[in-house]
Amino acid sequence: MLTIGPLGFAAPWLLAALGALPLLWWLLRALPPAPRDVVFPGTALMAGLADPSALARRTPWWLLALRMLALAAVIAAMAGPVWRPDPRPAGVGPLLVVVDAGWAAAPDWAGVQARARAAIDRAEGAGRPVALWLADGQDGRGAVRFGTAAEAEARLRAALPQPWATRHPDPVAALADAPAAFDTLWLSDGLDHPRRADWLAALSARGAVTVVPPARAVRSLALTGDDQPALVLRQAGGAGTGLPAVLAIGPDPQGVQRQLARLAPPPAATATDGVLSATLPLDLPPELRNRITRLAIEGEASAGAVVLADDRVRRHKVALVGDARATEGQALLSPLHYLRQALTGRADVVEGGLADVLPAAPDVVILADALPDAEGAALARWVADGGLLVRFAGPRMAASDELEGDPLLPVRLRPGGRDAGGALAWGTPRALAPFDAQGPFAGLAVPTDVTVRAQLLPEPDPDLAGRILSALTDGTPLVTRGPLGQGSIVLFHTTANTDWSNLPLSGLFVQMLDRLVQSARVTAVTPATPSTDAPHWTPQAVLDGFGRPADAGGLAPVAAAAFAAGPAPGAPAGIYAAGERRAALNAGGALVPALGAADWPGAALESAARAPGLALGGWLLALAALALALDTLGSAWLAGGRRTGARAGAGA
Amino acid sequence: MRTPGGAPLARPGPAALRAGAEAAAAGLPGLLLAAERLASVVDTGAHGLRLAGTGDEFWQYRAAQPGDPAASIDWRRSARSDAAFVREREMQSPQAAAFWVAATPGMDWTGDPARPTKQARGALLGLALGLVLLRGGERVAVAGRAPRGGRTQAEALGRDLIAATGALPDAGALRPGQRLVLIGDFLDDPAPLAALTRQAAAQGVRGAMLQVLDPVEETFPFQGAIRFRGPGVAVADHLTRDAAALRGAYLARLADRRALLGQMADASGLHFGTHDTAQPPAQALMWLYQALAE
Repeated sequence: MLTIGPLGFAAPWLLAALGALPLLWWLLRALPPAPRDVVFPGTALMAGLADPSALARRTPWWLLALRMLALAAVIAAMAGPVWRPDPRPAGVGPLLVVVDAGWAAAPDWAGVQARARAAIDRAEGAGRPVALWLADGQDGRGAVRFGTAAEAEARLRAALPQPWATRHPDPVAALADAPAAFDTLWLSDGLDHPRRADWLAALSARGAVTVVPPARAVRSLALTGDDQPALVLRQAGGAGTGLPAVLAIGPDPQGVQRQLARLAPPPAATATDGVLSATLPLDLPPELRNRITRLAIEGEASAGAVVLADDRVRRHKVALVGDARATEGQALLSPLHYLRQALTGRADVVEGGLADVLPAAPDVVILADALPDAEGAALARWVADGGLLVRFAGPRMAASDELEGDPLLPVRLRPGGRDAGGALAWGTPRALAPFDAQGPFAGLAVPTDVTVRAQLLPEPDPDLAGRILSALTDGTPLVTRGPLGQGSIVLFHTTANTDWSNLPLSGLFVQMLDRLVQSARVTAVTPATPSTDAPHWTPQAVLDGFGRPADAGGLAPVAAAAFAAGPAPGAPAGIYAAGERRAALNAGGALVPALGAADWPGAALESAARAPGLALGGWLLALAALALALDTLGSAWLAGGRRTGARAGAGA
Repeated sequence: MRTPGGAPLARPGPAALRAGAEAAAAGLPGLLLAAERLASVVDTGAHGLRLAGTGDEFWQYRAAQPGDPAASIDWRRSARSDAAFVREREMQSPQAAAFWVAATPGMDWTGDPARPTKQARGALLGLALGLVLLRGGERVAVAGRAPRGGRTQAEALGRDLIAATGALPDAGALRPGQRLVLIGDFLDDPAPLAALTRQAAAQGVRGAMLQVLDPVEETFPFQGAIRFRGPGVAVADHLTRDAAALRGAYLARLADRRALLGQMADASGLHFGTHDTAQPPAQALMWLYQALAE
C-alpha cells in the first residue's frame, strides 16, 4: 500500500503505466481523423492513386486531453486508490474471515460481502493465506482450511445467507487443522447465537479478533400463539430508527399476489435488553385474513422478517352438532340451517355427531338444542383444553330432567323455561338490550325488530351478573358465558331456529356468531407435539435467506422432533405439511443482540469511523467512462463541423 | 442545376428532360445576350475560297468558251473588247459547324460559387462561337441536327446546347467536311472520345476540342483526409488520408490526360485547347474562332 497524503494505492506499481502516457499521446495524435467528403469531378483521374504516407491531421488538443484523462483515470482506478486508507498495518500471518450467514445477515448481505472482499483483497496484497468460514451451520465443510485469496473470494461470491439462524461450529473440531496463530475478522450479524462465546474464545486464543457489527438494525417478525394470533415485531440495534410497518401479502380475488393490508406498528414500542419490540394484532376482516399467505416487514429482505401463514392465521374450524335423532323435517325448521348459513364462508364448518367431530380438532363446537349424552366427558375434556363450546337452548333442553346437573352449561338453568308473548302469556316478546361495551359483542347495533318469545332462565346466582354477555330489555340473560378449564362455554338462552325468537333471521345473529368464533383460540397444530400418524413434515414451500420463495423440490421430509426445533440446515423456513395439517416454520423470533463491546470480550470492535477507507476505483472508472462519452460527442461534433464546412465549400 | 446537397442531378427521363430543357431555356435570352456580347469581340472577315464559284464577290473575268450560256456573258465588259467575257465570282460555300458541349454530372460543377459551372461556361462559348459563325454566313447546329444559317438559328442552337445530354455526340452525327466543335472536361474514360476522333479523321472533319476545367481541378488545392466522390454514379470514391501528398500525382495524371487529348486531336485534324473558368471567356472564343478559321 502506497500512501500519498490521504490517498492510498493498493497496487501502486500499476501507476508506472502513467509513464506511458506521452507515448499514448503520440499514438493518439497519429490516430486518423474522420475524412471529409468532397465532391470532385477529378476523382475519375485518381483511381488507383495510393497515399504516399499516412500522415494524420492534428487532433484538437482538448480531444487529446480528454482521451488522456480517460486513460489516466483508468490506470489510476486499476491501481486501487483508497481515500483515507486504514492506517493500521495489514498484519502478518494467516487471516480467517468469519461471516455470520444466518438470516439476520441477509438485509445487508452485499455490504457484508464487500467488507469481506476488501479484507481478503488486502490480505492478498500482503501475501497472507486466507480462510473463509461461513457460519451457516452447514456441516461437511470440515475444519478451517487456509488457502489462497482467490479461493476464498470465489467462495465468498457464491455464499448466500441461509433461512435459519447463524450457527457457530464446535471450536475444537473447526480449528483442528488451523495454524497456531492467525488473525480473525468476524463479520457479525449482531445477534448472539449458541457457542458464540466458545468460538470467540477459541479464536481470541489464536490471535487478534476484529468484529464488524452489522451496519443496520436487525429486525425479526414472529407470530404469537395466543388465542388471537398477533405479530411481534422486534428490532435490535439501529438506534433512532423507528419500527417499520408489516405487509400482509396474499392473492387478491383475481389470484394475483399482492399486498392485502399494511399493519402500521404502534408508536409506543417497548424496549428491553436493547431489543425494541411491538405487538401488532392481526386485526383484519376474516375474508382478508384467510387470504394472507405471508406477512413481511416492509423493506426488510430476510427470512426472519417473513411469517408464513399457516393454520394459525387461517380461519377457525367450527363443528355443528345437532340432534342426532332429528327427523327429516323441513330445512327451515332445523336449527342447524341458520347456523350453517351464518357460518358458511367465515369458517370451516364440520357437521356430524359429537363422536365424529371431536377428532377433527375443531376450534368451536356448536350444540344446537342437543345434549352431550355419552360424549359429555370427552367434550368436557376438549373444552377444558381450551375449546369454545357454544350451546343453543331449545325444547329438548328445556324438557331435560338432567338440566340441573349438566356440567357443560355456564349457568344453572331452571327447568321449564319462560314463554313471553305466546298465545297464553300476558307479556309481549322482549327486545334485546344494548350490548355491554366491554363484552365480545361490544359495538354491534341492536335491531329493534329482533324479539325473543321464549327463553330458558337461569337460577339466581352470585356469578350470574358477570356471566351475562347479552340480555333482554327486562334484564334476563340471552347469552351467558362461563369458563371451564382453559376453555369456555357460551349458552344462547334461546333456539338457533325461529321457534323461540326471530334473532336467527337477523344480521345480528351472523355478527354475534362471527365475534364468538373469532374469540375462539385457534387449535394450533403445535409442531412440538409429534403426531403419531404423521411423524414427518414435508416441505411445501420454503424461503431462502432473503425471504424470497425458493425451490422446495430437493428437500427431504423433516422429522417432527427436528421440526419442533425450528429452522435448521435441512429444514429451512417455509410451509410444511403433514397430512391435512399445514404448519409454518418461521425463522424470525426472539432476538438476543450482541452489538456492544461487552459482548465481544477480547475482540476489537470495528466502528464505522475506523472502517477501511473509501475505494475510489469505481468513481475513477465512471470518470473515465464519462470522459470517453464526451470524447465521442466531441469527435462527432468535429466530423459534423467538417462535413458542413465541406458542403459550404463545394455547394452552389 | 445542382441540388443544395451538392449531388448532381441524376440523368432525367424524357419528360423530366423536357421540363429541364424548358427550365433551362428560360435562361436562354440571358445566354444569348451574353453570347452576343461575347461574339462582338470577333469581327468576321470574308473568307473566300480563292477560286471561282458561286458567291457574292467578284472573282475574275475570263474569256467565254463554247458551251457557256449566253446569259452568263457580261456584255458590258465584252463591249469594251472583241472577245466575249464571262464574269466569275469567288466561290463562297458556307461551312457547316456542329457543336457539342458535354453535359455530364462532372461538367455541372464549380469549385467556387463565384465562378460559373464548367457547363455554363461551355455553353456560353459554344453559343458565342455559333453567333460569330452565323454572322459570317455559316450554318451551325448542335451535332446531330441539320445545320442552318440565319439569325434565327442562334436561338435554336442555344436551346439545343442547353438541352443536350451526354458527354459526346453520337458517332452518326458527323458529316463529312463538317467543322466540329467539342467542348467538355474530358476527364472521363478517353476511349469513346478516341473513337469519335478517329471517325472524324476518317470523314475529314476538322475543328476544335476545348477542355474546360475549373481552377480547383487544375491546381488540386486539397489537404488532409478527404473522401473524394465523383459527381456521377459511375465514378468510384477515392479515400485519401493526406490529399496534399496526392497533388503531384494528380497533376501528373492531368498532364498525361492533356497530352493524350492533344495526340488524339492532332491525329484527327482537330485543334486542342484548354480553358479554365477563371479566365475571361473571350480568350477562349478567340482561340476557337482561329482554330476554325484555319
